[in-house]
Amino acid sequence: MTVDPAGLRARAQALAAVRRWFDHHGYLEVPTPVLVPAPAMEAQLHAVSAGNGWLRTSPEFALKRVLAAGLPRIYEVGPCFRDRERGRWHGREFTMLEWYRAGAELTDLMDEVEALVAVTCAALGVVAPASRHDTRPTAAGQWRRVGVRALFRACTGVDLAHATIGEISPDDETWSDAFFRRWVADVEPQLTGPTFVDDWPASQAALARTYTDGAFPTAGRFEVYLGGVELGNAFFELIDAAEQARRFGASNAERIAFGEAPHPVDPAFVAAVGQMPRSAGIAVGVDRLVAAVSGWPGIAPGRVAVAEGAR
Amino acid sequence: MSVGTYNSSDIKKGLKLEIDGYPWSIVDFQFVKPGKGQAFNRIRMKNLITGQVVERTYKIVESFQVADVEEVQMEFLYHDGDGYNFMNQESFEQVAIQKDVVGDSANFLLENMKCAVLFYKGRPVSLELPNFVELLITYCEPGVKGNTATGTTKNATVSTGAQVAVPLFIEQGETIKVDTRTGDYVERVRR
Repeated sequence: MTVDPAGLRARAQALAAVRRWFDHHGYLEVPTPVLVPAPAMEAQLHAVSAGNGWLRTSPEFALKRVLAAGLPRIYEVGPCFRDRERGRWHGREFTMLEWYRAGAELTDLMDEVEALVAVTCAALGVVAPASRHDTRPTAAGQWRRVGVRALFRACTGVDLAHATIGEISPDDETWSDAFFRRWVADVEPQLTGPTFVDDWPASQAALARTYTDGAFPTAGRFEVYLGGVELGNAFFELIDAAEQARRFGASNAERIAFGEAPHPVDPAFVAAVGQMPRSAGIAVGVDRLVAAVSGWPGIAPGRVAVAEGAR
Repeated sequence: MSVGTYNSSDIKKGLKLEIDGYPWSIVDFQFVKPGKGQAFNRIRMKNLITGQVVERTYKIVESFQVADVEEVQMEFLYHDGDGYNFMNQESFEQVAIQKDVVGDSANFLLENMKCAVLFYKGRPVSLELPNFVELLITYCEPGVKGNTATGTTKNATVSTGAQVAVPLFIEQGETIKVDTRTGDYVERVRR
């Protein structure tokens, strides 16, 4: 077991400041179950099975049911689990901060992320990046917002709206493989400043709304980057139960194609999607937030972790 | 997974893999997983033949063959028309290594020097000298006594025929220590 007292102190200070911010902004902290009957459906997420169910990969399904039940501003901080993920910026067990806000647009969540990073910076004695709305950047730079298509073209010269798979990446056979290989190799390493990346391809919508007209169909979704690390992912939420059921079916088909077991669909969740208000929600990795603000080379100092061999 | 195959997820530093017809040594790697995409391994690796270091991105499910490489301790014997002749320290077998493989290492190769020779598919492909070597100065302009100022140098010819930049106070007939990785003068060796 590794223990870094200074790292754990920084984490606790950051988390206390984050909780204060939510309390002052009308958010209710809601504890939802860690052990769940149906895990996330995405083919690239691997849930850890436990008991007769799974350990959650995020609190998304449960929090959306709370949102649908009539609580308009909710958040949760707690452990989540994703199997087969390990490295400097990944742990099989990690801490997720997730919040939902009825009536909000994605730009509202960008403003809240800016504010949360600022309170985390203040708690840790670090200069915060200037807001997108400020005219003068700080020493820590200024938040910027860029769409996937423009960003990809700037970093690789490839226009995703018109390029063939081979033009994106000659080594790959599927659009998804080609996109992500170039993303990992040539785009993400250039996201060094505080950045919101939005207008993701509609094929990567997950549980977000899609906008399918135009040359490059997109999802109502953004990812937030700080210090070169992806901190979180936001959705302008899908609130169409039938579309949700269709996507779960497609996810299970994809799981089977990838050689993964299909997951059960929780009908209570699908029904709740149809009762959700127009809303936006976001999940942020707390370990990464603390590490990125602190300038650590990975999440290790802020965590009490068992040795790799004991996984 | 068969013997001699590695999944991208099991990569370790120093592992030697066969990729695109070359042997590579893994310098560093990082697990990367985009939020809605599959996991990748961003791998820095060194080409064991050309010495070139590159960064490549592999899907975590991709697998690699272990490179057929072997590092052998060998002693340099002599240089002739067949190339540079080395002797295996264990089997006493002799191998002639061509000039293009020896490359710049020839500048500091001394008789009886122990070197690490890398064989790829049974063929010698690269040579690693000891990090430091002591060489006799066979020619240089006379020294400037008392001038120990750093930064000012003159060219000296050493016993292997190579040129080394040395401080002004160094004299012909003296022995110096040279870093074989950079070709730089390190210090004067007093006999």
